[in-house]
Amino acid sequence: MQVVKLSLKKANKIPIEADNVNPDNFAGKTTEEIKAIPVLYGNGQCPLGDLFNVEAEGSDSVENTKIVFEGDVSRVKRIGQNMSAGEIEINGNVDMHCGSGMKGGKVVINGDADSWLGCEMAGGEIILNGNASYYVGAGYRGESCGMRGGKITVNGNTKDYLGEHMCGGEILVKGDVGLLPAISNNGGKIVIEGKATMPASEMKNGTVIINGEVSDLLPSYKEEGTEEVEGVTYRKFVGDVNVGGKGVLLIK
Amino acid sequence: MPVIKDAVCSLCGSLCDDITVTVEDNKITKIENACILGHSKFVGMFEHDRIETPMIRKDGELVPVSYEEAIEAAAKILVNSRRTLSYGWCSTSCEAISGAIKLAEETGSVIDSTANVCHGPSALAAQEKGSPSASLGVIKNRADVIVFWGCNPVHAHPRHMSRYSSFSKGFFTEKGRKARTMVVIDVRKTDTAKLADKYVEIEQGSDLLLITALRSIVNGHEDVIPETVAGVPKAELLELAETLKNAKFVCIFFGMGVTQSRSKYKNGDAVSSLISDLNQHTKAVMIGMRGHYNVTGFGQVATWETGFPMAIDFAKGYPYYNPGETGANDLLVREEPDAAIIAAADAGAHFPQKAVRHLARIPVIQIDPYANPTTELADVVIPSAIVGIEAEGTAYRMDAISLRMKKLIDSKFKTDEEIVKDLTTKVRELKRGA
Amino acid sequence: MSEILIKNASVCDPAQGINCETMDICIRDGKIVDSVSGNAKVIDAEGKLTMAGGFDGHTHSAGKINVGRFMNPNDARKNLVPGLSGQVARTEKTRAQVGYNTPNTYAIGYRYAKLGYTTICEAAIPLLSARHTHEEFKEIPILDKMGLSLFGSNWQVMEYIRDKEPEKLAAYIAWGLKASRGYGVKIVNPGGGEAWGWGKNVSGLYDPVPNFDVTPAEILMGLVEANERLQLPHSVHVHCNNLGKPGNYATTIETMKLFEKVKPSRDRQSLHVTHVQFNAYAGTSWRDFETGAPMVSDYINGADHLTFDLGQVIFGPAVTMTADGPVEYANSRMLHEKWSNQDVELEDASGVVPLFYSPKSFVNAVQWAIGLELALLVKDPWKVMFTTDSPNGGSFVNYPEAFTYLMSAKRRAEVISGFSKMALDRMVLPGIDRELDFYELAVMTRSIQSKIYSRPEKGNLKVGSDADIAIYDILPGQIDPTTEYEKVKKAFSGTAYTLKDGVVVVKDGEIEATPKGRIYWVNAKVPANIDSAMQKDIDLKFKKYYTVSKSNYMVEDMYLENPVEIGTEGVF
Repeated sequence: MQVVKLSLKKANKIPIEADNVNPDNFAGKTTEEIKAIPVLYGNGQCPLGDLFNVEAEGSDSVENTKIVFEGDVSRVKRIGQNMSAGEIEINGNVDMHCGSGMKGGKVVINGDADSWLGCEMAGGEIILNGNASYYVGAGYRGESCGMRGGKITVNGNTKDYLGEHMCGGEILVKGDVGLLPAISNNGGKIVIEGKATMPASEMKNGTVIINGEVSDLLPSYKEEGTEEVEGVTYRKFVGDVNVGGKGVLLIK
Repeated sequence: MPVIKDAVCSLCGSLCDDITVTVEDNKITKIENACILGHSKFVGMFEHDRIETPMIRKDGELVPVSYEEAIEAAAKILVNSRRTLSYGWCSTSCEAISGAIKLAEETGSVIDSTANVCHGPSALAAQEKGSPSASLGVIKNRADVIVFWGCNPVHAHPRHMSRYSSFSKGFFTEKGRKARTMVVIDVRKTDTAKLADKYVEIEQGSDLLLITALRSIVNGHEDVIPETVAGVPKAELLELAETLKNAKFVCIFFGMGVTQSRSKYKNGDAVSSLISDLNQHTKAVMIGMRGHYNVTGFGQVATWETGFPMAIDFAKGYPYYNPGETGANDLLVREEPDAAIIAAADAGAHFPQKAVRHLARIPVIQIDPYANPTTELADVVIPSAIVGIEAEGTAYRMDAISLRMKKLIDSKFKTDEEIVKDLTTKVRELKRGA
Repeated sequence: MSEILIKNASVCDPAQGINCETMDICIRDGKIVDSVSGNAKVIDAEGKLTMAGGFDGHTHSAGKINVGRFMNPNDARKNLVPGLSGQVARTEKTRAQVGYNTPNTYAIGYRYAKLGYTTICEAAIPLLSARHTHEEFKEIPILDKMGLSLFGSNWQVMEYIRDKEPEKLAAYIAWGLKASRGYGVKIVNPGGGEAWGWGKNVSGLYDPVPNFDVTPAEILMGLVEANERLQLPHSVHVHCNNLGKPGNYATTIETMKLFEKVKPSRDRQSLHVTHVQFNAYAGTSWRDFETGAPMVSDYINGADHLTFDLGQVIFGPAVTMTADGPVEYANSRMLHEKWSNQDVELEDASGVVPLFYSPKSFVNAVQWAIGLELALLVKDPWKVMFTTDSPNGGSFVNYPEAFTYLMSAKRRAEVISGFSKMALDRMVLPGIDRELDFYELAVMTRSIQSKIYSRPEKGNLKVGSDADIAIYDILPGQIDPTTEYEKVKKAFSGTAYTLKDGVVVVKDGEIEATPKGRIYWVNAKVPANIDSAMQKDIDLKFKKYYTVSKSNYMVEDMYLENPVEIGTEGVF
């Protein structure tokens, strides 16, 4: 097992781009080597070690590498981006794009996450023990396929556009979500325990289950009786009719 | 006494190009064809707001300096910055915008336009669904059903309806207003709504529900429509959908009521889909009612030079785009920028308080002909000539038609284009020195 | 005075009949000359294939492409052809670059230059938005540029044809070219753009245009008459009716036949038919869709009045953009894709739709085959211009990949091996063993363009020609392109040197210098009395129907960097 502990030397407002910070890039590296990894800070590059305290213990494969952030990293973007294996634990708030494009491994966030958490992820797992902002598991600007695999669990609330353009994988939100969850999705499964507004607009395919209150159900769904899931009976809606959708929207 | 014909009015996105201007002793003395807003700008009604000289803030006070000093001070701010926000650039020429983009590229800045607070969501919508549009003359010559949604041209684009839309007469629309159906959809009965054949009042923030309902009806699924949607009875929705479907040519003009209300760009996205669906039955297009006269131009120039229409972050050396992350307000609310250029726009007046508070904390360079609340925040103030009056250049109408704005009178002020060029030269000099 | 001596180059210059002969090329002040002094800078080109700079005769690189960029920000990060796509930070010499199908203007210039291309022709300039096209031209570095102006659904054109006013029509074309600073006459789906004004289309050459009482055939014949009367350097450039529809090969041949009796006014074709791949479909629906290339090629082999270009498909993402408005709407509905549309008052239409060509789709596989079939079944390479109709069939950065398809049956077989049986049944490509050599490739990528566009100083290495030269790190005699296609692709993907007007702009695949190119436009002379009669008619159009003033319609001189005005004398 290799464990790498990182903590910011000084709180920052100008974001740090940590797209190099993931087990794939840390595995087998010494403290000094990790300190030398370049990161973008504003419009210039600097070595990771200039911004972070770094402590690496052991040396192991990607699968057996764990990165632990101690404290707030709410201005550190792209942690765990494209990671394929291993684990990242963040003990604080994290900035945008955490786990975006990830293919495997696990990210645990003990804090809040900013927008684009797990965007376009294809595999692996994200567990967020806090609230998320916009575009959890969505696609980037102009893309027609967002999250395509893996699982995101949000133990708090999220803001708007949860799972936009999702075409695979699973999202579970224990709290409330904002506007337009599951918009334009084309596959995958979203379960929302709390409240939601205007869900599943233009859903082509996929399943959305909402246990809390739904506001402003869009006038593009056909109600087709009820469906039972794990002992709970839901009203079943099928649509979005405007895209010839076969999506299933289950509302308690 | 020189009389200049076919001058282009640099006020709103209608970019009327039929203005006749009389100049006497380097003063504009007569304006023909302009609306009251354009007229005021041409005849210098806003002259009392002009910034008279370059200024630098010293000990809290703005002190007059030369252009050279102001540009040097501005350049120093830029080379010492790790994250500059360059914002505005919509009430200026495409040539100045091009220079501003180059400067942003060289300084690794973020550059964004006033679309950030108006029609930016229209671009995001087009990136979801495309932009099924037409030039304004197509509407003039063909459209028999015209919808104004969340916009109020009577006040914001005074000549729009007579030149391009409701009242205009064209090849297939010889009877003008008489043979047209004009629909207004809004949350309150505006002066535009008062002129409409049909006014549909909707609940605030419910645009997406209404658009979706119309789509469902147009696509043959009226069975899924509840008795009222967005506060509008089903019968009225069915009637509206029929009006649209039975038209020969429909144009939906949409404004900030659509782009800035709840569900923002997803409204424009859905309008685009509605247009596509309507084309199964008739011909339909949509056009955004752009406000600043060249906000469309910023989008065009930025797109060909950087690939993106706004919110472009050059920190990595190449353009990166992600509104929500790289928009002017996104940055300011997160207190990211350590310096800002505000040009040809007024962030001080139009941004949320939190953003303005951050601007007050960082060095701000203002480039503008007019003093405004941003001047109060600025550390370096560089006055410029008014494009379309004192300087020539290109601008794009709301339908993406580009026009050449004329220089009508001489000015002691440098143009935005020159200022940006000088600033870039100075930045290079300082960098090389370092 | 600047002089360059390119020594021991292996020169392939079909215009002079030179087929990979070792020789020196002398350059003085941007032109190719007989000899240079001893002070000339020497470029050692020993062992290197040397050709005139490439000339892309049909590309969408300025104007409408901006709609493509605007609606597809996701294209910016696509890096499917490393070195020629994706995000590249600025350097001291180059501006920042993004994109693949719809790169920013700077990337377009740099990337064409890296491929050894030095001239491009923008395929569609709407007159009303011509200023925009020229604004983008200005920001495309290195390359010489020209553009074709759209006339095929123009009200004034249709009225003059209906009213049988050929002289005024010619005067209008001359004026339109001047207003838009265009180089030639582009006709897209004649009449279809006007029909699209009402959400409709025309179904073929004899389907009258709504409200204008002319047929597409009449529009074509009217415009070719005007084109030849004005003695324009380029022939009419035609995008046929029914593009993209199964069975359209018949319309295409019918269109070609219409021009058999036209006498060209210059030593060039009387008709250029563009992106024929999209117009060589047989079958009656997408179910029984199959190649129509054999029929079209047969006809072309027996005809001597026309040239055409391919519109070759490249597998992967592409962005379709065309003045053919109804086609784009149909595409977007069929493919459930984003759709942009821009109708232009009194003139034309246009649309932009992204799509993805997959080798697993039998339709896409057959489309891919049709382009190659056309190139290989038409015997005379002097009738074939190589294009992908970039980015409609695919981005121009894939040209080197496409060259390997043309030069190697083995390479084709490799691609074809991934096709379904259904696809194979609908194409004839597997039975074609022709493989182009470097000479034929040079014809299709530079020599024929010189002829088609009447630009004798382009696309060849004759004394007096522009010193636009591509030097590729490959020696024809020493490699076998039919088997060593990877080497061919590599060599064509980044030149050893590209020279533009005698300036080294690319060295070892990297940008060295970014001079500004020229803009060619045509000023055709028309007798004053005919011109003023025509002006009266268009004055009325501006007064009653256009939403811009006539004076603001004309593209001003300041938008043209290094303009080259090509004067022609109309015959009236």
